[in-house]
Amino acid sequence: MALVAGPGIGGSRSSAGTLPAELTLVIDKHVKYIQGLDSRKDELDYWLTEHLRLNGVYWGLTALHLLGHPDALPRDKTLEFVLACQNQDGGFGAAPGHDSHMLYTGSAVQILATIDALTDLEVSQTGGKERIARYIAGLQDPTTGTFAGDEWGETDTRFLYIAFNALSILDMMHLVNVESAVSYIQACANFDGGFGRAPSAETHAGQIFTCLGALSIVRRLDLVDAERLGAWLSDRQLSNGGLNGRPEKLVDVCYSWWVLSSLAMLGKLHWIDAAKLITFILSCQDSEHGGISDMPGDMVDVFHTVFGVAGLSLLGYPGLVEVDPVYCMPKKITQALPYHQA
Amino acid sequence: MTSHGVPRSATREERTIEARQRELKEISEYQRLVEEVNTKVHAKESTPQLLQQTAELLRRNPEYYTVWNHRRRIYVHEFRDLEKQVSASELDEDRRVSQVLDIIQLDLQFLFPLLLKFPKCYWIWNHRLWLLQQATALLPVAQARPLWEEELGLVGKMLSRDSRNFHGWGYRRIVVQSLESLRLQGQSMSRQELEYTKKMIGINLSNFSAWHNRTKLILKILDEENATDDERQKMLDEELELIHQALFDPYDQSLWFYHQNLMCTFDLDLAAKSMAPHLSTEQRLSYIASERRYIEEVLEDAQDCKWPYQALIECTLLEAKMQQGLQEDGRTKILQWLTELKTLDPLRKGRWLDMERSLVKAAA
Ligand SMILES: [Zn+2]
Repeated sequence: MALVAGPGIGGSRSSAGTLPAELTLVIDKHVKYIQGLDSRKDELDYWLTEHLRLNGVYWGLTALHLLGHPDALPRDKTLEFVLACQNQDGGFGAAPGHDSHMLYTGSAVQILATIDALTDLEVSQTGGKERIARYIAGLQDPTTGTFAGDEWGETDTRFLYIAFNALSILDMMHLVNVESAVSYIQACANFDGGFGRAPSAETHAGQIFTCLGALSIVRRLDLVDAERLGAWLSDRQLSNGGLNGRPEKLVDVCYSWWVLSSLAMLGKLHWIDAAKLITFILSCQDSEHGGISDMPGDMVDVFHTVFGVAGLSLLGYPGLVEVDPVYCMPKKITQALPYHQA
Repeated sequence: MTSHGVPRSATREERTIEARQRELKEISEYQRLVEEVNTKVHAKESTPQLLQQTAELLRRNPEYYTVWNHRRRIYVHEFRDLEKQVSASELDEDRRVSQVLDIIQLDLQFLFPLLLKFPKCYWIWNHRLWLLQQATALLPVAQARPLWEEELGLVGKMLSRDSRNFHGWGYRRIVVQSLESLRLQGQSMSRQELEYTKKMIGINLSNFSAWHNRTKLILKILDEENATDDERQKMLDEELELIHQALFDPYDQSLWFYHQNLMCTFDLDLAAKSMAPHLSTEQRLSYIASERRYIEEVLEDAQDCKWPYQALIECTLLEAKMQQGLQEDGRTKILQWLTELKTLDPLRKGRWLDMERSLVKAAA
C-alpha cells in the first residue's frame, strides 16, 4: 500500500568499486529503483523504517518528478495512502496509525501539491485545507514565535520551516504570527552568518537551509548577511567536489543539497565548483541498480537519491526538471501556487 | 537520518537462504510485537506488561516515535493517578514523591544503553528531556536537581565519545539552562561551562562546536557579571591570545572561523553585538593592525594556505569601513591576495572573481 518504502537501503558490491570512465545519470535505473521500493517487504529494514514512510513517498515522488517521470507512481494510490496517514487532529503521522507530527504533515502537504490533489482534499472534506493548516498553526509557540514538532513540544528551526513551507502551499499563512517567527530566526543567527536549530546553537547547513527557506517564503532574505553566509557555505566544498554540513566534517550528498540550495537562495550558486559537485553526486550513484548514496561506495537510499537528483537539477544537469531550492519540489508546481501570485 | 557511512555490500538477491529465512522470522516477531502494543493501546490499557512491551519494541526500533508517545501517555496517566490518591488522602506525599522518582529513574536507566547505541536518534534525547522536565514539575528540588546533575555528567560522557555531536551540545545547553534555573535553585554556570569548552579544545583544537559555545558563553558571562568596558577588553585580549596559540596549525578552518568571530568586534556593523562593543575607532584600528602583523607571520610559514589570505582581505576591508573607504594601496593588496586565492582555492573561483569585480567597479 505504501508506494515507497523508506528508505530502501541497497546497492550492489560490484558497483561500489568500479566507476565508469564517463559518469552519466542513470535516469531509468533510478526510476526503477524508486518504483521497486515497495516490493521489499521481505526486508526487516522496510518494517523498521515505518516512521519514514510518508517522508519516503515525498522523497521518491519528488525524485521521480525531477527525473521527468511524474507518472511512475499511481496517483490514486498515492492520494489514498497520504489520506490514510491523517489523524483526527488534522495532522499526519508517518504511516497509518502513527501520531501526528510536523515532519509528516509537511511531507503530506508537499505530496498533495505535487500530485495536484489540494482540490481533491476540499472535495472529500469541506475545509480540508484549513484543517491541516490549523494543526500546523497550533504548534506555534505564542511567546517565542517558533514551532514545536508535535504536542510534546520539541522545538527546532526545521519545524518552523516546514510550517511556512506547508502553510504557504495551502495559502494559509495568515493563521500564524510571521513577525515573531522571523524574530526567532534572527535570534538563531551566529557570527559566521549561519543559523542553528535554536538560539545559541551552532551553525549547521541543514538549519541554514531551513532558516533561509523560511525567510525566502516570507520574502525577508534582506535580514541575512549574504556575503558572510555565502562565504561560509562555499567553504563547505572539499577537494573531491562534495560538500559537508559543518567545518571539518565529512562530505555527504544530503548536505550538498542543503548547502547548494542555500547558496541558490542567496544568489551565490557560482561560488562553488559546479562541475566537481556534479561528478561527486554522480559517483555516489549505484549505476547498476539505481539509487544514490551519501558518499561514493556506500549503501543507497531514497533520501539521498532525491537530494542528489535535486542538486543535479539545481546545477542545471541536462534532462532534469527544474527544482525550486526553497521547497525542494518542481519549480513549475511551486510557481503556480496562489501564495506566490501575490 | 537514513543510511550514512554504510559500505555497499551484498544486494538482497545475493543473500543466502538461511539469511533470508532469519530475516523473515525477525520480521514476523517484530510485527507481532507491534500489533500487540497497538491493540493494547487502542483498548486504552495501561499495564506494566504494556510498558514492558513498548520498551522491547523501542529497543529494537528507537525511531518508532509513536511508541515513545504511548509510553509518555502511560506515565502521565500514572502521575495523575498518584496525585489523585494524595488528594483523596489514600497516599501520603512522601510515598508519591518516591514512586514518581522511581518511575523516572528507571526509565532514564532504560534509555542509557539505547543512547549509547543510537547517539543520533532525536527521539531518545527528547524522551530523556521529557522525563527530566517531569521531575522538575512533579518533584521537590532535593529530588529533581540530582537527576539533572547526573544528566550533565552523562552528556559529558557522550561528548567525550563524539565531541562534535550536534544533539549532544544542544542538549548540554538545555541541561545547563535547567540547572541554572530558579525552579531548581540554581545559579549561573557560565564560568564553569567556559572552562569545559577550553578542556574540549585542549583535547582537539578543531572542535568548532566547543569554539562556538565559547562565543555564546563569553557574551553571557560579560552580561551576567555586568562587565565594564575594561573587563570586556581584557576578555577580548585573552581570547585573541588563545586563538593565536591555537593557530600554529593554519590549515584548520575551525580556528579561522573563531578568529573571524573575534574580528567582528572591530566591524562597525557587528560590534554592537560583540564582546567589546564600545571600543574607539582608534582602538579598533590598532587591534586590526596587530592582527594583520600576526597573520602575515602565519603566512610566512604557510604560503600555500588560503585562510591567511582571506583573513588579510578581511582586515583590510574592516579598516576601510572606518577610514574613508578603500585606499589605492589597500585595493592593490587585495587584488594580489585574490590572485593567490584563485590559484590556491580554485573551487571558489566564482567568489574570488565576484570580489575582484566589485573592487574594480568601486574604483572606476
Ligand atoms: Zn546524508
